[in-house]
Amino acid sequence: MLKLLRRFFIDANFAKKKAFLKSLSLFQDLSGRDIGHILAALHTKVYHEGEVLFVEGDPGQALFIIESGRVELSKIDPQGRQQRLITLGPGDFFGEMALLEQLPRSASATSLEKSTIHLLNRRKMEDLLHHHPLIGVSIMRHLAQLLSARLRRASQSLVAGETLGSQSRAAAL
Amino acid sequence: MGDERRQVPHLAILAALVGLLYAAYHVHAALIPFALSFALAYLVNPLIHIFEARGLRRDQTVLGLYLIIATGISIGANFLLPTVTSELSLLQAQVPMYLRRTQEYASQLQLHVAHRMPFGQTLIEHWNMKMYEPLVGHLQHVPAYLLSLVPLLSLLFVVPFITFYMLMDSSHAMQQAIQACPSRWVEQGLHLVSEIDTSLGNYIRGVLILAGAIAAASFIGLTALGVDYALAIATLSGLVSFVPYAGAIAGMVVGGLVAGFQYKSVYAALKVIVLFLGIRLADEAFLQPVVSRHSVHLHPLLYLMALMVGGEAFGFVGLLFAVPAACIVKVLLTLFWDIYVRGSGAKLASPAQARIPYV
Repeated sequence: MLKLLRRFFIDANFAKKKAFLKSLSLFQDLSGRDIGHILAALHTKVYHEGEVLFVEGDPGQALFIIESGRVELSKIDPQGRQQRLITLGPGDFFGEMALLEQLPRSASATSLEKSTIHLLNRRKMEDLLHHHPLIGVSIMRHLAQLLSARLRRASQSLVAGETLGSQSRAAAL
Repeated sequence: MGDERRQVPHLAILAALVGLLYAAYHVHAALIPFALSFALAYLVNPLIHIFEARGLRRDQTVLGLYLIIATGISIGANFLLPTVTSELSLLQAQVPMYLRRTQEYASQLQLHVAHRMPFGQTLIEHWNMKMYEPLVGHLQHVPAYLLSLVPLLSLLFVVPFITFYMLMDSSHAMQQAIQACPSRWVEQGLHLVSEIDTSLGNYIRGVLILAGAIAAASFIGLTALGVDYALAIATLSGLVSFVPYAGAIAGMVVGGLVAGFQYKSVYAALKVIVLFLGIRLADEAFLQPVVSRHSVHLHPLLYLMALMVGGEAFGFVGLLFAVPAACIVKVLLTLFWDIYVRGSGAKLASPAQARIPYV
């Protein structure tokens, strides 16, 4: 009887989607109810193989979360050739800078196979921040950690590059 | 590559949009129930989202909500509606008497002015010609205007019906629209929809908060002053408050007339006028800052222009939807302007330079 009532009132896909979002580092600190609010703010689209999600230079408006499939991020190099940056898979997310400010995309994204992708729009994120500040704070903290880690990596590679550069200059001398 | 091949010329999209708007203008009477249903669905949707966020199925939530609202309306209709309707019909019955007595008072005043003041007769003739006759002329049209609202009552039955289907299918329809949208434009399309959504939501919330607060304050004030038909006058004041200043003015005029004739004293009418002035000031000082913080941020001139154009083109319903329509136009203009500014490669010294003046 209880099972029948649950089936009648409860959305069967809800628990599945909730579990998926909870598995992401971005939302891991959020409660079940908070995840529900995120789910209400998300939009889902199935992209087919070869479909372009965005092109370098497009205004960034949303965070993309891959539920299934693969997405390639690429960039045009100074010589005008397409350079593959990374291939992302289920559970990965990208385009998070769009949640912080409206800047042109620094790379292009293309679906490599049939992919189910969730989009969290910047405006929806602002609404979440306004109406559910704890959710916003949690997401923003994760984004800050992510950016800090990237900055650290960039600094390290810069230092490594400079060291390598001075060594090669020294070797040349 | 495929996207580029399928790209539709911008002019064709613009022409299609203009054609659609032109067709909508010609059949706007048939679209009224749908527009009202859309607005109602919009109001109710956040409530459904709350339950959806807890994992409840949308269809069952909508059904449950309809049952609760129907029960609430039945109970409310049993208790509140008879009071409001009886007050309104009493008020309606008294209006001719109030107008007759106002006319008598005006005639006495005219005689007084004509006999006691130099050039009194000329002044009176000038007043009659320039002010009184046009005013009476306009007043004669008021019953016809009110009668034109009667067909809207039939919408009371149609609108909840359409709203039900809109609420049931809105998620599915949105999902289908996203799926049908060319992949590269999904992000920008969703951004546009979210901007419109936030703008409309803020406007509707703002209007409801203001209308509720003005109606409540008017009712408390009028009851404290012992004015008859307090509930009807407060309801009227709240209902028309979506037009700037109209709520306070309607309350002042109707409440002032009722109080003046009820107590046979100008002071009683003055008290009501002071009450509505106070409500207007309190609204300006305390409510507007809170509401406008999340509001539509339309320039007052555009706000008024939207109301005038909406009223002129579509009558009363045009007044209802003028500001939301202006919000949508504003979001579209801002987005296209943004695309234009970015596309032109202009170097902007500050983000404020990227904004369209007055928008």
